[in-house]
Amino acid sequence: MGAGRGKPRALPTRPQYRASAEGGSGADPGGEAGPAWSGVGGAGDVSRPRVSGRRTGACGLLPLPPTTAPNGSSGPSHSVEWEGRSLLKALIKKAALGGEQVHILGCEVSEEEFRAGFDSSINSRLVYYDLFRDPLNWAQTGEALPGGPLGALQAMCKRTDPGPVTVALDSLSWLLLRLPCAALCQALCAMSRQHACRGGGPAAEQLCVLGLLHRELHGPGPTGALSSLAQTEVTLGGTAGQASAHILCRRPRQRPPLETLWFSVLPDLSLDLQGGPPLESQPHPDPHTPQVEPASHLTFNLHLSKREREAKDSLTLPFQFSSEKQQALLRPGPGPATSRIFYEPDAFDDLDPEDPDGDLDV
Amino acid sequence: MAAAATCGTGAGSTGSMVAAGGKNNVTSFQRRGPRASGSDSSYSRLVSIAGTRPSVRNGQLLVSTGLPALDQLLGGGLAVGTVLLIEEDKYNIYSSLLFKYFLAEGIINGHTLLVASAKEDPADILQELPAPLLDDNVKKDFDEDACNHKTAESNIKMKIAWRYQLLPKMEAGPVSSSRFGHYYDASKKMPQELIEASKWHGFFSPEKSSSTLNIEPCSLTHGYIKLLQFIQNIIYEEGFDGSNPQKKQKNILRIGIQNLGSPLWGDDICCTENGNSHSLTKFLYVLRGLLRTSLSACMITMPTHLIQNKAIISRVTNLSDTVVGLESFIGSERETNPLYKDYHGLIHIRQIPRLNNLIYDVSDVKDLAFKLKKKLFTIEGHSREQCILVALTPAQ
Repeated sequence: MGAGRGKPRALPTRPQYRASAEGGSGADPGGEAGPAWSGVGGAGDVSRPRVSGRRTGACGLLPLPPTTAPNGSSGPSHSVEWEGRSLLKALIKKAALGGEQVHILGCEVSEEEFRAGFDSSINSRLVYYDLFRDPLNWAQTGEALPGGPLGALQAMCKRTDPGPVTVALDSLSWLLLRLPCAALCQALCAMSRQHACRGGGPAAEQLCVLGLLHRELHGPGPTGALSSLAQTEVTLGGTAGQASAHILCRRPRQRPPLETLWFSVLPDLSLDLQGGPPLESQPHPDPHTPQVEPASHLTFNLHLSKREREAKDSLTLPFQFSSEKQQALLRPGPGPATSRIFYEPDAFDDLDPEDPDGDLDV
Repeated sequence: MAAAATCGTGAGSTGSMVAAGGKNNVTSFQRRGPRASGSDSSYSRLVSIAGTRPSVRNGQLLVSTGLPALDQLLGGGLAVGTVLLIEEDKYNIYSSLLFKYFLAEGIINGHTLLVASAKEDPADILQELPAPLLDDNVKKDFDEDACNHKTAESNIKMKIAWRYQLLPKMEAGPVSSSRFGHYYDASKKMPQELIEASKWHGFFSPEKSSSTLNIEPCSLTHGYIKLLQFIQNIIYEEGFDGSNPQKKQKNILRIGIQNLGSPLWGDDICCTENGNSHSLTKFLYVLRGLLRTSLSACMITMPTHLIQNKAIISRVTNLSDTVVGLESFIGSERETNPLYKDYHGLIHIRQIPRLNNLIYDVSDVKDLAFKLKKKLFTIEGHSREQCILVALTPAQ
């Protein structure tokens, strides 16, 4: 949603959304706000899952965890890893084509390998900070960023010009293994804030941070902490050769929508969205609890047959007094034939009609 | 002869004895009051602080949390000098809403605010407070909501379970003359002039604590130290602890701390199990000491679902006075459960303090759920039996 660029645009409904390829402004402008994570740049396409992205200090973090294929699938798909780096590169390409500055902190792969796949026009626009070749600056060349990984993050922020910026962190996992998690979280938040301060106005603070995270490397603690910071979280998975992305988009005041998309990254690093799961293999259903039947596990019978229901309706309850019942109670009944007390005193009872308590030893 | 007419107004209330030879009702009993001080402060005891009221149980001074339904659950309100801990829901939607209600209530009542956060600038938080609802509008909205709710149920006469009709209704309707507890419209923002007229102090952790120094394992994190010093300064300078007795009208300091314990404060209990596990507990201990000696009330929201070491959560619960947990249904399997289809989440009252009291002031209804209608945040009791009976009968 181009909140910084004018009126918000309506989001296309889901079926349209899945079927559309990228490119082209297919969305019709309207006044309605929807899940804001498409519609930036080319409206209507899934250019990037960035949240209403151009808001105050929006730090759109995207942990993209590549996961292994789900258990239970058969065949060679066991060995396939759903790799996140290609998706990251696809998003970078989109940003660069959209005219933004792109800064990349590369830690896990070499610069040549990362730049492979981008064509020369995009490559010339990427600003690359290399921490892979010499992370501890042993070679003492002047071009390395001082301060280690944390210093590199802060320096990256200082070198960005005001305007829309995308920062890609090639791997948050690499940073998490070397920095304390709390410090990393603080540095990431500081990045978006500093950029916002320098921008000077609401239209200028447009920073999007994309981070790649390898989920299996970390425990629930760091992933939970980073997820709580992120505005959009994309979890990669898939079945049988088809990659899917579960997208969770947090917005400050509303319920976060969960979406699942099937996509593939083409060799020239453009995103291709498909609608629906592939037909060849059955996608494993989520371990979804079946619809809870509230009337199960009860000790009384809630489903009555017709006869039982009639009997129930015609029953008069003891505390409900209809007029006939009241009359019946008021009128003396047909003698003591209805209820009687039979009492046989035994040897110890001393019945004295004048003093019934006479036998008590009080 | 006790001709001195010093008894004054006290004579009527104490059973006065006519003095020997007394011409009028002058008694030798004199009421000892704080008249010796000679200043106006003797009357300030009788003048109550705006936005507070004494508890009906034991006279404890209470402030409103901003949600009248929550006040009712907590026994009338939040006691002055105590900490209310809100355990955040997973996506921090409803807990931040409660936080904003708390601050908005402070602004409406004219209390001084202290807002501390590590994620958002306090000035931004204050811009997003909900607008208060005027009394007549509230009544109208609430009535029409109640009508919609009741039409489905009006033709259900609970024949067998007739005793459920006697259960007290948990929904606290807006009382038109209530001045203790206001209703807010979550869809509108508080007017700017009210915010500017209020007095507030903000603490934004990244600005105040810029150094990342190495600290020993058992001491407070840097951010916490700075926050405690800030709170202490405000309490002392503005006289909330009675240190400046010649000050003007007494007021309450409302402290709101957001996301305490998250990594943005520099604390790593959300990241690892074996982190600095005593920093947060020490902070709460010192904070409670500060609060008990001043006229202040504090609300803290904490992402306990992220804390890895469960022992810390129980320690934190013990160190706080009132603990309320929020659990939202988003993303969980309960979202599809028909029992919960009207609600957005559950509220768990985990702890209620015993302040100057031997018993707890707990409400009778234990299963509580909340829902955020377009304007109001309501809390209702939902018991399983009620839900079953209500859910099934219209279908038949």
